[in-house]
Amino acid sequence: MEAMAENKPSVGLVFFPAFDWAISPTHPERQERLLYTRDQIQEEGLFDHPAIKEFRPRLAEDEEILRTHIFVPSLAKHVTESHRIAAGGTILAADLVVDGLVGRSFALLRPPGHHANRVVHGSRGFCTINNEAIMVDHLRHRLGPDLKVAIVDTDAHHGDGTQDIFYNDPGVLHISLHQDGRTLYPGTGFLSERGGPAAYGQTVNIPLPPGTGDEGMLMAMERVVLPILQDWQPDYIVNAAGQDNHYSDPLTNMNFSAQGYARLTELLAPDIVVLEGGYSIESALPYVNLGLLLALAGLDYSKVQEPTWQRQTVSQSASLTAQVAQICAEVLSLWERRSEADLEEIFGRQDFFERRRHIHYDTDNIYEQQQEYIRLCPSCAGWRVIYTVSNVYPTPSAAVLIPWHVCPQCLKEGESHYQRERENTEFGLVIWHDPRTDSCKV
Amino acid sequence: MYIIGIDVGGTNTDAALIKGDEVVAMAKTPTRHADLFASTSTALEEVLRHCQGQEPLRLHLSTTLSTNLIVEGKGVPTVVVAIPGPGVNLASYQFPFPLIELDGYIDHRGREVSPLDAGEIEELKARIPKDCRALAVVGKFSHRNPSHEQQVATALSQWFSGVISCGHRLAGRANFPRRIVTAYLNSSVAKQQLEFTVMWRRLREQLPVPLEEIVILKADGGTMTLADSEERPVETILSGPAASIMGVQALTSCAKPNYVIVDIGGTTTDLAAVVEGKVLFARDGATIAGNKTLVPALLTRSVGLGGDSELNYDRERGTFHIGPQRAGTPVCLGGEKLTPTDAAVALGMAEIGEKERAVNAWHIWAEGLGLTWQELAQKVIDAFTAQLAEAIEDLYSGLENVPLYTVSEILMPPKVRPEAVVGLGAPAEVFIPRLGGILGLEWEIVPFAAGANAVGAAAARTTLSLTLHADTELGIVTIPELGVREKLASPISFDLHQARQMAEEKLRELAVQAGYSSEQEVYIVEEESFPLVRGFRTVGRIHMIRTQLRPGVRRIRGGGNG
Ligand SMILES: [Zn+2]
Ligand SMILES: [Zn+2]
Repeated sequence: MEAMAENKPSVGLVFFPAFDWAISPTHPERQERLLYTRDQIQEEGLFDHPAIKEFRPRLAEDEEILRTHIFVPSLAKHVTESHRIAAGGTILAADLVVDGLVGRSFALLRPPGHHANRVVHGSRGFCTINNEAIMVDHLRHRLGPDLKVAIVDTDAHHGDGTQDIFYNDPGVLHISLHQDGRTLYPGTGFLSERGGPAAYGQTVNIPLPPGTGDEGMLMAMERVVLPILQDWQPDYIVNAAGQDNHYSDPLTNMNFSAQGYARLTELLAPDIVVLEGGYSIESALPYVNLGLLLALAGLDYSKVQEPTWQRQTVSQSASLTAQVAQICAEVLSLWERRSEADLEEIFGRQDFFERRRHIHYDTDNIYEQQQEYIRLCPSCAGWRVIYTVSNVYPTPSAAVLIPWHVCPQCLKEGESHYQRERENTEFGLVIWHDPRTDSCKV
Repeated sequence: MYIIGIDVGGTNTDAALIKGDEVVAMAKTPTRHADLFASTSTALEEVLRHCQGQEPLRLHLSTTLSTNLIVEGKGVPTVVVAIPGPGVNLASYQFPFPLIELDGYIDHRGREVSPLDAGEIEELKARIPKDCRALAVVGKFSHRNPSHEQQVATALSQWFSGVISCGHRLAGRANFPRRIVTAYLNSSVAKQQLEFTVMWRRLREQLPVPLEEIVILKADGGTMTLADSEERPVETILSGPAASIMGVQALTSCAKPNYVIVDIGGTTTDLAAVVEGKVLFARDGATIAGNKTLVPALLTRSVGLGGDSELNYDRERGTFHIGPQRAGTPVCLGGEKLTPTDAAVALGMAEIGEKERAVNAWHIWAEGLGLTWQELAQKVIDAFTAQLAEAIEDLYSGLENVPLYTVSEILMPPKVRPEAVVGLGAPAEVFIPRLGGILGLEWEIVPFAAGANAVGAAAARTTLSLTLHADTELGIVTIPELGVREKLASPISFDLHQARQMAEEKLRELAVQAGYSSEQEVYIVEEESFPLVRGFRTVGRIHMIRTQLRPGVRRIRGGGNG
């Protein structure tokens, strides 16, 4: 054991199982979710392994959360202490890496966040605030807006919230591998969703057919994800590590194993890993988290195996493999030809690109309607305005959003639009959102 | 009732005779490592002379026997038989002892996933080397189901005559690699511990006063019977540092719930933290000579800073860095190199050896630097105090980072910061008041500082604990320390209250069986209770209760200078 020790621990582990918190008593997001993971990691002796150091999460501050999100009607209405700990723990995980205290980090905590959109009326897909997005904005706040961060979301569900937050953000590359949206919540994440006018092509979706196992998942990593990362050269790679691709997960239909997750982690070599979903709390999570942690620390994971593992359960048919290969080829080709896209054709020739959406919050059963206008600016990502209304907050709200790299013209236009909407009595809330200055005010 | 506490240390053997809450006599004699028994008897006889009449006598013994055997690698040749199941590759732990792996797999809830292989167990006879004198049998998750360990141990005992330690008996908590190390060490020192107890039993007959009982000090600052020390000798490691800490607790008049214990020695300073009146324990267990164990132990932090530490002067900055190396005997005692002790002696803060020798040496050094010798010596005192303060800060910032797993704890983390400094050790008079000044804390130096360890040994009380794990969905209750895994009579109604009751009853039973008096209160140190939900339906609960005899010390009166 001592022989493996190095100068600094290779992995910082921010473990927070929230043993006293549940969405509701029998909800998948309940006290018990990480109990067996804790038992396994503890029994394997990894909490005091010299290559791994455990850290206590902190609470995220209002300004850290507001740098990313827009709340209707208010932050206080939605954000509880448990959310602050999950977001604060994720920020800490990133800071540990940036400060050089550890080589990589793993925020093994709950509640999750990747279904939380920019605008928050309630909880969606068990998520209220987006841990990864808050962390990425924290990193840019700390290290400057030029930072390039790639998020690789390997949860079985499409990382629609994270995609929403960064879809017009040139500083972020968002790659989501997930079970095809035609067969699973949230029903999005198709190849055609490729990002907004200022970040076209930087939203990459890899929808995988139900039944995809280690072979297909690793094929997508090797053929698509790794070449894209190699091409884009991010400063940091974040893995939104949902574990519901597992063959035993009750909510999905995928066929991934603990060995597959460990290998994926080894291939991806992420700087920061953040737990997302995964609800096979006994048959999958202890082994997946063990494999992932070992792989992240560069330790031998070859003997990690689920008690229920059988070769035939995790193998996939040849036709399925061919299907995955086909999807990989298409996604890669879209990436390679992203600069050839005719943006005027896609986003129009007007001053603004308009987007209208209906958003369902399954956890809280809320329907939101959104209308968004993005200024098509040749010099920056463009200021935006979002109008939003829902069945629980029926008075419309408006939010003016300023990008990290705003040009003087857009800043001026955004400010005057904000002033104008403030005078408009139609709106309950008019929000100014500028992450550069932390002036996210109502 | 008299109690004699003896602490056999690396340099000296200390003895203290207490009666009620008073120290009657103390003795100190050099430890003779070649004949530990003789030097221990000498110390014992010294204090025995002060016993009056035929009052009953108890002996509390803190020995370095196991510690030394482990540090020097002189235990008997021992082989570990491990049942790892899947998970971390056992080879990657790189244990420095021979290990044989068996098939078999128990999961986190104690369910048998795959059984032992009878053929493999049969083959052990051929695979265990002939020179092997002791065995340890350890399975992953054996604290949730000891049956594999029990089966293997039973099979081995058919033909193996040496000691066989089972992991589950030694530790009811998780951590397979630590459980392996703990069981290995336990087996490797068991034979010598037995020789030791046999000797003390014989001595008992020869004493002029009736010796009611002999108990052995443990790393957690408590005591165990001789019989238990034969079963679990590994628990006696590091009892010396624990005895000092117990001594401070017995002797201090500090009324604050939180304080830091600072034991300044010649080579090192040992720190310990008292929070809400209790000494903190090491999170997982004792670490001895690089071996991480599950042996419950007081949390101590050793810093390379003492009266005999080496002085490193940075000419550019004009500052000292002290330690971690030892310089040797102080100049005032005839040594070659100046030490912190020489600074204190020269400046008149302490009276040890020849002050003139120290002053002269400082004078020569200071001249070359263009300082007065007083300035130079004062810098040493200041640097020593500052480094101590830094080490204390480091200890507490670590404690404030101990992981917490519930929202409520994160919101209201335990307050661990000290409100006072309690010091002991020869240089304490010099540094503790200054340290208190820097930290802005009250301070105290315990009386009998030179023999606090022996007083602590005498003042220590029994510690005994067990872990109960009940899984009402499976209908099983497990108490690894007792080797118990049995069906619950009515699992559906087995709630947390019943789990607590059962744990407390079992501990009381165990205490009586083991020959401990039942006067000590049983209490719960740790508990968890989780509802189990499968398919949106609650199907049972998991309760985990760790219970123990309330530890603590007899309060000893300080004799006025406290
Ligand atoms: Zn998911
Ligand atoms: Zn612009």
